[in-house]
Amino acid sequence: MTSFTATVIKQGDDICVISISGYLDAHTASDLESTMQRVLTDGCRRIVVDFSHLDYISSAGLGVFMVFIESVRKDGGDIKLASMKDKVFSVFDLLGFPVLFEIFPSVSEAVEAFPASA
Amino acid sequence: MMTPVHDNATLRIVAKTKHLARVRTFIHGQISQLGFSEVEENNIVVAVDEVCANLIQHAYHNQRDAFIDLHVIIESGAVRVEISDNAAPFNPSKSQLPDMRQYFAEHRHHGLGIMLMTRVMDAIEYRPAGSMSTLNTLILTKRRTH
Repeated sequence: MTSFTATVIKQGDDICVISISGYLDAHTASDLESTMQRVLTDGCRRIVVDFSHLDYISSAGLGVFMVFIESVRKDGGDIKLASMKDKVFSVFDLLGFPVLFEIFPSVSEAVEAFPASA
Repeated sequence: MMTPVHDNATLRIVAKTKHLARVRTFIHGQISQLGFSEVEENNIVVAVDEVCANLIQHAYHNQRDAFIDLHVIIESGAVRVEISDNAAPFNPSKSQLPDMRQYFAEHRHHGLGIMLMTRVMDAIEYRPAGSMSTLNTLILTKRRTH
């Protein structure tokens, strides 16, 4: 119940899929924050987060997405969330996060939800 | 008061965020046979994790030799988790909870742990250190419905 990893895969020209796995809590949230910061520094603004291998999230993990969502949307991008286990979705749902973030059943649906590039 | 069915599960951790995983393993192990769904079990684990994370980061400020004691009491109708610390007293159940619409509008990113705890647990009681104990204790109760 300790490890956390985040890996980034570029999909197409301008979508970055961040696959997260393990346990995202007050101890590991800074790892995701570093990864998100690196993705933004590299210029990506269309971000999909793949939760399919994430087993646990606490409010510290949710806070990471709040850190970046405003600036990403200001630049015309978005952070879309995909493929959550029920227990992980429940934590988002308890706090009303589905109002602010689009959550998709699969990564492919999240990717397709981005409008075509100009 | 209900009679405890099981009353000897305790854990002490050094108050460091790297030990939150031990808290989760301990709590999950205690509640996994009580008839809660996987989502309910996880939500209880999250509530306890949030309390411990708040103590570590905000009450103890990562100070050395700080500790947190956990005690799980299984009753026929409920499970109680007692979380004890020797930091300055702070009653989270008296905290003002954020208005989530305002929270999202302002793009805040901290301060949701207590909100999560209150949304998951059925009762929250706080006993500050005093003549009965040198430790502050927060008692989280979740009713068993199965």
